Amino acid sequence: MSKRKSKQVDTSLRQFIKDLGYVSGGAALLATTPWLQSFTPDKAKEIKKEKARIGFIGTGSRGTYNIHAILSLQHAEIVALCDIYPPNLKEASGLCPNAKTYTDYRKMLESPDIDGVIISTPLYLHAPMTLDALNAGKHVYCEKAMALTMEQCKAVYDAYQETDKVLYFCVQRMFDKKYIKGMQMIHSGLIGDIVGERCYWFRNHDWRRPVPSPELERQINWRLYRDYSAGLMTELASHQLEVCCWAMQMVPESVVGTGDIVYWKDGREVYDSVSLVYHYSNGVKINYESLISNKFNGMEDQILGNKGTMNLATGIYYLEDEAGGKKSGIEQLIGQIGNKLYASVPAAGPSWRPETKEKYIAHNILEGEFHVNDGLSMIGALKDGSDEILSAFCQACITGEKGKNIVEEAYLATMLCHMGNQAMAEQKKITFPEEYKIPYMKFS
Amino acid sequence: MGTRFDILIIDQNRLKSQEIWNDIVFELRRLDQIFNRFDSTSETSKINCEAITDPVHVSPEMWFILRSCQIYYTRTLGLFDITLNDFSKVLLDEKAHTVIFSKKDISLDFGGYAKGYALLKIKDLIYQAGVQHCFVDFGNSSILGIGHHPHGDSWKVSIENPYDQNEILDEISLKDQALSVSGNTPSYTGHIVRPTSVESVKAHKVVSITSDDPLDAEVLSTVFMMTNDMEKKRITENFKVQNIAEYSL
Repeated sequence: MSKRKSKQVDTSLRQFIKDLGYVSGGAALLATTPWLQSFTPDKAKEIKKEKARIGFIGTGSRGTYNIHAILSLQHAEIVALCDIYPPNLKEASGLCPNAKTYTDYRKMLESPDIDGVIISTPLYLHAPMTLDALNAGKHVYCEKAMALTMEQCKAVYDAYQETDKVLYFCVQRMFDKKYIKGMQMIHSGLIGDIVGERCYWFRNHDWRRPVPSPELERQINWRLYRDYSAGLMTELASHQLEVCCWAMQMVPESVVGTGDIVYWKDGREVYDSVSLVYHYSNGVKINYESLISNKFNGMEDQILGNKGTMNLATGIYYLEDEAGGKKSGIEQLIGQIGNKLYASVPAAGPSWRPETKEKYIAHNILEGEFHVNDGLSMIGALKDGSDEILSAFCQACITGEKGKNIVEEAYLATMLCHMGNQAMAEQKKITFPEEYKIPYMKFS
Repeated sequence: MGTRFDILIIDQNRLKSQEIWNDIVFELRRLDQIFNRFDSTSETSKINCEAITDPVHVSPEMWFILRSCQIYYTRTLGLFDITLNDFSKVLLDEKAHTVIFSKKDISLDFGGYAKGYALLKIKDLIYQAGVQHCFVDFGNSSILGIGHHPHGDSWKVSIENPYDQNEILDEISLKDQALSVSGNTPSYTGHIVRPTSVESVKAHKVVSITSDDPLDAEVLSTVFMMTNDMEKKRITENFKVQNIAEYSL
């Protein structure tokens, strides 16, 4: 990667902070998004000449996506790569020829030349690898969700309380400009009181990867098997449930739901259709739906307020008092006559047909052009905050500064996913288990 | 009839206006009972259900309607067709006032007729009530301007481009006249079917007809959505209309 390119991308994190309107160390930054306070332009200057030495555990599709992001950073270098699947390791090595390669991540963790590791492996490996890496004295960045079980989540959370190392999970919406600005608008009262939350993620794809040899089925299509993955909940819903709690500044206390394998009956063990209702103590609900045999509705994180609606994924909001659009012809005519005006009535056109939904005026959350994720890629979308959170992690590897709220948000989102899966599996209402509550959470 | 109805009465007091409104609502409900093919108890449904096998005796009003549709069918060179298929297979018995279909898959759909017929009835009703100035908007596509605007000498209506609501296609002045507009919209395209080919009209196009007779306007606005130039010329000769305008969008 050329130096010129590195420079351009490096400024993007600073530009990102600037775009959000933060001045260095400003109060607004601390109050609404404390996890960004370490990444002000001033702080970036402090680490200007340093580089975080990064090791990769997992160099599959998401790992490669992360490698590309790190390669474009000025303040990081990739020094080690590890994967048990030779074709992926070879490909990654082609991208980073100077990095040492490993097939056993424990061996890699013994290297004193690594500051931090980036874990992009199947879900069931997140907790053991994260714990091993922290124990080995490495800073850790791990893909979401946090872990395969509630017990593992708690073990990781507890380990994080003990360690002085940095731990990040890829809760990238916390670093997505649309979401940050949108949340500021929500918390400033733009859409009034939050009265409901609707999140959905629809795709029409079997979620499979081609398998070169049958014994590799579970290794490659790990998302489909319960010992490796918790399915749609951890892979997709975890991002969205995090957003719901962020908006509400509360955690749901219970969940009910149903999950089924409706269409992709190919031997998989995880649901291809889930519908859940999460319940907050004040009665507000999250309606969550994911289906991977119809993509009509796409993906959205929608916060409903009594004064407006925030569509965070598409970066658009609507205000209730703007519903209905233009006045009807006859209403305009009555207005004219009232004002003693003689003008034409804009009524005529093809037949008016009943509408079940009123038209609203769409407002963009961000000014200018911005990126919207269609939610269809299995690997990741461009400009969805992933690059920024990786850049932030590398900076933290240099400064040693822990990221505020990141582990906590990842923990609660993953816990909510597991509660949802339990509710669907046991067909009963699941309340947030006392033993898994952490001081970060507010339930009322 | 699946749409909205607005009327603005200028020269009557509140009580009288309310009475007229009640009469209009009553009349529209009555007509819906005749024309609604989605209501299994309507006369249209009865005919659609039974005329495939046996002659169906119809009410005097339905007889008048069917005869009128037959005349429009002839005068529009077969393009106005309430079967959307082949009206020549609807056999009317003059003496017995019965109807029978001589072909399978024939059914009646008054979608391009009912609003015009209703406006004709409502026009009579409001004249009888002594109204001299009023404006009727039946679902935007069928408009009646009786008398004139309190601050002008007629009722001026502008036609919006359904593909761009900020664009005005035309401005029409109505004085004791009806305006009917047909066209496709972004969300509703292909509802007009050319009977001989059974193909729907998909062109981005709007047609407006101004006439003294609301029913003529209603029928012709649909017909002119599908005519070629030659047909247009021949059909125009069969009608007395004030204005025909076609807008390609």
